[in-house]
Amino acid sequence: MAIRKPVGPVEEGQTLQTASVAAPQLASEPIGVAKRAFVTAPRKMMASGISEAEAIDRAKQGDGECFESLYGMHKRRVYSLCLRMTSNTAEAEDLTQEAFLQLYRKIATFRGESAFSTWLHRLAVNVVLMHLRKKGLPEVSLQETLEPAEEDGPKKDIGAQDQVLAGSIDRVNLERAIESLPPGYRIIFVLHDIEGYEHNEIAEMMGCSIGNSKSQLHKARMKLRDLLKFTRAERAATKR
Amino acid sequence: MKTEQDVIFAMGRHASTAITAAVQTLGGDNQMNCAEFQRDLPLIIDSGGTEQQEEHLRNCEVCRDLVSDLRYIADQAKLLVPMLEPSPKVWDGIEERLKLEGLVKPTHVRRSL
Repeated sequence: MAIRKPVGPVEEGQTLQTASVAAPQLASEPIGVAKRAFVTAPRKMMASGISEAEAIDRAKQGDGECFESLYGMHKRRVYSLCLRMTSNTAEAEDLTQEAFLQLYRKIATFRGESAFSTWLHRLAVNVVLMHLRKKGLPEVSLQETLEPAEEDGPKKDIGAQDQVLAGSIDRVNLERAIESLPPGYRIIFVLHDIEGYEHNEIAEMMGCSIGNSKSQLHKARMKLRDLLKFTRAERAATKR
Repeated sequence: MKTEQDVIFAMGRHASTAITAAVQTLGGDNQMNCAEFQRDLPLIIDSGGTEQQEEHLRNCEVCRDLVSDLRYIADQAKLLVPMLEPSPKVWDGIEERLKLEGLVKPTHVRRSL
């Protein structure tokens, strides 16, 4: 195939075509993400001047250039997902590659029941989770319950009040703090708070209970709060 | 000298005092304490609390700040956009693998750019 370096969308307009036929959600498709995709997804036009829906149809027939255009349109979000879940650039690149290879092999099975981006990101999440399982990384402890562990639990005897975080977090510091979370916490936080998956979807994908997912998310946010407060205190000390 | 009745009476009084103290510690009189509130926080934070939990939140600055921070973190996370781009070698790898596997058919689309 005559392949050039991938490019992204060049024009945005009305509602995404695939979204209009996506109203009946499959149980296995991430509702939260789909909602977000419906609200924000415009009619995407590729660099070649064809719509995303057309590019999908042609890629289903094995058209390399249309697939390349789809890659250009979705590579950032897939890569960001992989990077946030693994906190490792090399792994994230390998997983992005693997996700798009799987996309090419499976695109013929995309029936348009959800937004294409929703379907693709679910595929990418599965690629990452499969990789983490192979590595033997604990995603979520199955013994977890809603009862918080002592070291992770909320502080019950907080003495002097310090300022709330509102208005003091910037994107870079938040990304850094997420990066330094333990893997189990980080994965749930990325899936729920960044990617918009619901707890029941996360539980299904990760093979844990809904309560477990809620518990891990809470611990992740508590840990992030500590990390962000620590960063803020450090910054304040440096300024003095 | 204490009679058997005096001993039983004294024991009863001690038990009553202990129960009252325990009820106060645990937030009796429908008053919730921080430990109880924070124990249920994973559920409260996203789906809202009961009337009793909301009341505790109104009256407790520590828990109010905690909830405010956790909601703020969740809100900020939603704003994180995918900024980073994978290196060109990712696409090169995909292209190579597709060619190797013979998966790509000849192109039918003429690019406008």
